[in-house]
Amino acid sequence: MPALGSFVLLATFVVASYALAACVAGGRRRSRALIESGVGAFYMTAALMTVASGILVHAFVTGNYAIKYVQRYSDSAMPLAYKITSYWGGLDGSIMFWVFLLSIFGTIAVSTNRERHRELIPWVVAIISATEMFFIFIMVVHNNPFDTFVAGGPADGKGLSPLLQNFYMAIHPPSLYTGFVAMTIPYAFGMAALITGHLDDAWLRAVRRWTMIGWLFLTFGLTLGMLWAYEELGWGGFWGWDPVENAGLLPWFTATAFLHSVMVQERRGMLRVWNVTLVITTFFLTIFGTFMTRSGVVASVHAFGEDRWLASLFTTFMILIVTFSFGWVIYRLPLLKSRHELDSWASREAAFLANNWILLFSAFFILFATMFPTLSEAVRGQRLTVGPPFFNTWMRPIGLALLVLTGIAPLLAWRKSTLSNLVHQFTWPVAATMVTGAAVYALGIKVWSSGICFALCAFVGATILQEFIRGAQVRQGASGADILTALIGLVSRQRRRYGGYIVHVGITLMFLGFAGQGYKLEENMKLNPGQTGSVGGFTIRHDSISVTSDEQKQMITGHVTVTRGGKMIAEMTPARWFFAKHEDQPTTEVAIRRAPGEDVYIVLAAYEMETQNATYAVTINPLVNWIWFGFGILAFGTGIALLPERALALAGVKVPEGAATTTLLILMLLLPMTARAQTVIPRDQLRKQLEGDIMCTCGGCKAPMNNCPMGGTCHGLKEQREKLEKYLDAGMNREQIRAAFVKDHGGQDVLAAPIDEGFNKLAWALPYVAGATGAALVGLVAFRWTRKREDAADGSALTNTTTPREDARDASLKDAALKAQLDDELRDLD
Amino acid sequence: MKSKAIKIALTCVVLAAALGGLMYTTLSEGTEYYIHVDEVLKDPSSWEGKRLQLHGFVADLRQRPNSLDYRFSVQFNGKVITANYTGVVPDTFKNESEVVLKGKLHGEGFSVDPNGVMAKCPSKYNPQTPGKAGS
Repeated sequence: MPALGSFVLLATFVVASYALAACVAGGRRRSRALIESGVGAFYMTAALMTVASGILVHAFVTGNYAIKYVQRYSDSAMPLAYKITSYWGGLDGSIMFWVFLLSIFGTIAVSTNRERHRELIPWVVAIISATEMFFIFIMVVHNNPFDTFVAGGPADGKGLSPLLQNFYMAIHPPSLYTGFVAMTIPYAFGMAALITGHLDDAWLRAVRRWTMIGWLFLTFGLTLGMLWAYEELGWGGFWGWDPVENAGLLPWFTATAFLHSVMVQERRGMLRVWNVTLVITTFFLTIFGTFMTRSGVVASVHAFGEDRWLASLFTTFMILIVTFSFGWVIYRLPLLKSRHELDSWASREAAFLANNWILLFSAFFILFATMFPTLSEAVRGQRLTVGPPFFNTWMRPIGLALLVLTGIAPLLAWRKSTLSNLVHQFTWPVAATMVTGAAVYALGIKVWSSGICFALCAFVGATILQEFIRGAQVRQGASGADILTALIGLVSRQRRRYGGYIVHVGITLMFLGFAGQGYKLEENMKLNPGQTGSVGGFTIRHDSISVTSDEQKQMITGHVTVTRGGKMIAEMTPARWFFAKHEDQPTTEVAIRRAPGEDVYIVLAAYEMETQNATYAVTINPLVNWIWFGFGILAFGTGIALLPERALALAGVKVPEGAATTTLLILMLLLPMTARAQTVIPRDQLRKQLEGDIMCTCGGCKAPMNNCPMGGTCHGLKEQREKLEKYLDAGMNREQIRAAFVKDHGGQDVLAAPIDEGFNKLAWALPYVAGATGAALVGLVAFRWTRKREDAADGSALTNTTTPREDARDASLKDAALKAQLDDELRDLD
Repeated sequence: MKSKAIKIALTCVVLAAALGGLMYTTLSEGTEYYIHVDEVLKDPSSWEGKRLQLHGFVADLRQRPNSLDYRFSVQFNGKVITANYTGVVPDTFKNESEVVLKGKLHGEGFSVDPNGVMAKCPSKYNPQTPGKAGS
């Protein structure tokens, strides 16, 4: 098998180089046949990479430990899901995963754009193939995931570190990759446009969607990274300006900049050089990010080993990219001339320009600060580092400036805003800002920078609200529908615009969460049993420490009661787990009490078994949940903006009544993604759940504990209850207790419903499924609207010619025509 | 056209100067010297009061009973500095573990900032970290 895998990789390299050669030749000679064969070969690479991935996954699942990579990143005891995700567990596999994704994305992009952008296709294929070849080359000569041990190999693998065997680590890297890889597609189209000289705005259309998709996945990956840091690492924060985090952030900034400036080019034909540059820079930064974190030039807590060979290979590739790309930009400069000039600074394009400058500056600032230790060592021979405070000092004002622009830009008109225009647009938002600002001041909240951030969030919120209300009112006036229907019609008609606004709402909510960090409270307390400590109005009482164990690990659990104002709000169980294979690396199991206002975040920092005392690191994290929630909104908005063109062109004046409900449903589907930590279920509730789960053992009743017909007289029930209490005292969760009962009883018949193994294993896939269902629903709704409209049109045509039935029908027809016309006019206004 | 070019150039220069100046001032406050114990001891007085990231190995770790106060020595290449710290330490922080300490050098010892202990633990993330960007 490994030999086959290596062979497939080699074959992919050959096929990709053929695709490159055939397409370049075909593109130059304008030979349709050559291009066709090149595209065919290109599709072939996707097929081959799928086969190679299949072989590797198969090796992981069957435990083929003769393969070094498999041996290093998995062992036989790991759950199936983690065996599969070990595919991208290390460098070699992640490079392969990268090529796999790229070949799939490339295939989709080429096949969907084949007719529309025929002249670009050969060059798109050539560029993507060249990128694939670079990564396959690395694999073939240096990091082959199919390398085997010379003689036999060990019987079992080393296993993945327990820290990384969790849900977030399974999906966070692929999400970031997807974002990174998707950025290659815009680059390929951009370069194709430069090479062919077809620099009209056609290529932008092909590119915009891919950038949006890549951007969504990048954002998702970054958010998951924050969640992982927050819930697993136990330091109470979520972003530490670590080089690896920064690497993901760099292309995010430039991609965000591009998504804004692309509108200026579509509208006004300006910023053409700029847009090409942004596309190139984004791609470059994805490669650079990989280089930065993988070659060891920057020391990071992630501490990937230094690899000179890889570093020099990446450096060569990056130099090639820069020379090649900017060479073409310079060569095509005459074709990239702006069609217009900036008319006024009080215009939307000027606001976009400012936003672009700030975003680009952010990217370069972070790049500079991340590389600073390396640079200082090279220049001065003395390694100087800059810590999170330095990043925060700079990024706070930058973030606030971006937030201001988020609010301002939609209020400005294209070309030039007149004074009355400005007054009309700014009155309410500015009023909202003032009121919030005054409230913040009156409440004595720290003004810099959280207070300002709150005021600005109000500003942006008011702006967006105003946009929605005014848009809906216009539409309502035109169609006579109720305001909600008008609103939904508005959004479905101009999805990019309103989807964008929804994204802004998400971003604003995230900013709320960031601002909350200004009031974060941290306290370490060493407590004896029964002793209390307090942080920010919360009283923490240490009850006891318990030791429990299962097959995999020993668990030390602290039992804490949290009260506020004398009222108990939660019983929490922060713990440390010692995995048998990794005794020296206990994992921190943070206990979090989530609430919209603030999280209570408790880490068991240290303990002494003899005295039963424990040291807790308690953090009160205000507003932090709004970050995750904000991402849900952001994803929803991006989804709307991404809906297919067809839905836009035809999307109905008539919106089904269910639309609003569907929307809410989708939002709710997105939510479970954000809430999968060790959630603290109140003990009483947990007991109730379990009493429904577990059968009474008195023999005859065949009923769950909470439904035993013998009631208080049942002899088995008491025993069961005691056992349950014991397990509850041990701080075990529902699954653990169920498992313990099964183990004690010797079979699953003690459970009211059997443990669904398959489901448990697949639990990590839930958010993906939820996301996919959400997307499918959005698609379905779009499709239905579309069809309704067509049906209506057909039906009305019939009425006209055959049955001159009611006047009402006629009236509705006229209405529909009027609405359509108004919609068109509205769209032009946009 | 020419005057426009000059305007743009001037704006760029002014902006660059302003940002550069700001960067320089904040940098001098925000930077920390990353340094090993033996390097510090070559000329301790010149490092006093500066923000350091001190790299070395822990020895003689002592904790005051019923508190979160720690005293320990940090050694590297046979040179030793005593250090003190109050707070929660990472699990991997014990005798002989490799650490990077954020803090300042004062007279005799090195006082570590709150949350300033970073225990180097390559095995924790490396080589198993998924992905190049698996933060």
